[in-house]
Amino acid sequence: MRRTIRLYRRLLGAQVRATLEYEADFWIMSLSAVLVQGIGVVFLWAIFESIPEINGWRFWEVVLIYAFVVISEGLSTLFTQGAWTLAVTVNFGQLDALLMRPFPPLLQVLSSEVGFNGLGNLVLGIGLVAAAVRHVDFTWSPGRIALGVILVIAAAGVKIGLNLLTNCAAFWLRSPYSMFAFSMHTFGELARFPITIYGLGVRIAITAVLPYAFMSYFPAAAVLSDGTARLLGLLTPLVAIYCLWLGATAFRLGLSRYESSGH
Amino acid sequence: MPTHRPEPRRRSDVDFSASVVGLASAKVHDGSVTLIQAIGLRKVFRKPDKAPGIRGSLRHLVQRRYSEHVAVDSIDLSIAEGEAVAYVGPNGAGKSTTVKMLSGILVPTAGQVHVDGLVPHRARVENARRVGVVFGQRTQLWWDLPVRESLELLRDMHGIDRSRYQERLERFDSVLGLGDLLPVTARKLSLGQRMRADLAAALLHEPRVVYLDEPTIGLDISVKDRVRSFVRQLVSEGTTVMLTTHDLSDIEEICQRIIIIDEGRLVYDGNLQAVKDTHVRERTMSFELEDSLLGADQIAARLPGARVHLESNGRELAVTFDRMTLGARQVLSAVLAEVEIVDMHIDEPAIESVVRKVYAGQLQAEHGGATNSEPMR
Ligand SMILES: Nc1ncnc2c1ncn2[C@@H]1O[C@H](COP(=O)(O)OP(=O)(O)O)[C@@H](O)[C@H]1O
Ligand SMILES: [Mg+2]
Repeated sequence: MRRTIRLYRRLLGAQVRATLEYEADFWIMSLSAVLVQGIGVVFLWAIFESIPEINGWRFWEVVLIYAFVVISEGLSTLFTQGAWTLAVTVNFGQLDALLMRPFPPLLQVLSSEVGFNGLGNLVLGIGLVAAAVRHVDFTWSPGRIALGVILVIAAAGVKIGLNLLTNCAAFWLRSPYSMFAFSMHTFGELARFPITIYGLGVRIAITAVLPYAFMSYFPAAAVLSDGTARLLGLLTPLVAIYCLWLGATAFRLGLSRYESSGH
Repeated sequence: MPTHRPEPRRRSDVDFSASVVGLASAKVHDGSVTLIQAIGLRKVFRKPDKAPGIRGSLRHLVQRRYSEHVAVDSIDLSIAEGEAVAYVGPNGAGKSTTVKMLSGILVPTAGQVHVDGLVPHRARVENARRVGVVFGQRTQLWWDLPVRESLELLRDMHGIDRSRYQERLERFDSVLGLGDLLPVTARKLSLGQRMRADLAAALLHEPRVVYLDEPTIGLDISVKDRVRSFVRQLVSEGTTVMLTTHDLSDIEEICQRIIIIDEGRLVYDGNLQAVKDTHVRERTMSFELEDSLLGADQIAARLPGARVHLESNGRELAVTFDRMTLGARQVLSAVLAEVEIVDMHIDEPAIESVVRKVYAGQLQAEHGGATNSEPMR
């Protein structure tokens, strides 16, 4: 296990150095992430200017949900961006090389890219949390802070698992584009808002089918203590394990279908 | 997780290992261990039947049709420890597909494969510790990293200790001239440089089994020579090598055994020398003469059955003969009895002519003349 983590860090580190060769990239990506996510917040603020409350959620509470998304997105981009390279890797038969190295192929894929925009996300996300906690009215205790940290990490696990699962479609679709995974990611963006504003179908889809709501709405609700949503939110770590397991299983099944490419 | 994990072994324990290796694959054969074994190995690719153009693609989306393409068709292989085998066949014969199944990259459609006691596609990580693969057509280095960094990552994955690693690098430097390449990003290497770096990457961990799939493709003569002498060294140290190539000198310089496949089927499997003896019996000896000669009839008379050819300048003489009926010594003494010679050389039969015969369908039914040709069960 320790060896696995150490090697994963080594692989990511190598990618960091490779990417830092293009220093401009680093800054452009980090700043653009702050910009893109920042625009979302401005948009939220504009909505709440005209209506003070959405389904009982006030502005700063929604900002907290939003911060969950931004942070889990950031963690997954920073540490497991490689999932998004799967389509190209499979399509061009580049998995061959990974399969001949004595380290689990899944971990090699996940660590094959570093998304520096994740850094921008993290900075913005932490900023949002810091701003939000001052405006939402509940008392902070060490227990609640610990819960928050655990839930943020679990939320990232959900996002990583779902990214992996949807990107594994590449093994079946055989196209060099991650269109399917990208559409699902876009669908998951719905979880940036309290999901009670959606119809039943969407709520079920986003809770039970591809549980993107567990990377934001439910864990945020658990931190804010909000009824049934809170109970579900406490399940986030289990959901994370489930999603990661789904992703790993899809990868394993996909690998047995992998056909390399004709050479 | 690998399901089957025999104790890791080093090359020095080989003799002992014959009794320890997984029963599924090991068999003592002339005191040697069968390292690579395939029975009825088969791979079928499913290709989409698509009419060309956008309309074809759209129709394919609605109405999915596939046709099956058999790339490897029930191949039996049995390769002993330390053997150097040439795996030969025309383009599209199924060579690379076989190598990918043997190395665990592809899951066979049918059949069994065991390499060093493991099923490669089930125990991928453990398999990767024991085998090395080089694909001439594609690099296995990290594209964006300097060669040195790729090698260090591999060192960490394989858990090779520092001093051993340094020894390996020095070795690679002396045979492959690796030193100059270490600081270069893989993406910026020329083909020949890339191949040398790829060889180092695939052999860093001293694998027992090495698959080389067209390792000399597109290389210039000097790099080819380096690669060949490097592989020859590997073989002499006891590494089991399976070499795919279109370059017949590669085969002649490295391998003792040749396996020929065509359209996914095994066409020939035999000892290289035996193949040459049976199918390439003609040999040519060329002489440079001291004084120019008017005619070669007297020499021809001394060598019944041989063809004697004298160049028009009268100073270059070539004798072509069947090596089974005449010896080089007889030819030499017949020539010396008539003329003084300055220089001579013998053209060894090229495997090329055998392969040509096979491609022309002449060898189809003939198997054998070989020590290892029968599949072991
Ligand atoms: N990934 C793949 N998908 C579909 N067909 C393939 C694939 N790889 C190889 N083939 C086909 O299988 C046959 C054998 O290919 P290959 O093993 O690469 O031949 P060789 O290495 O002997 O030139 C060819 O007809 C090739 O087109
Ligand atoms: Mg090939």
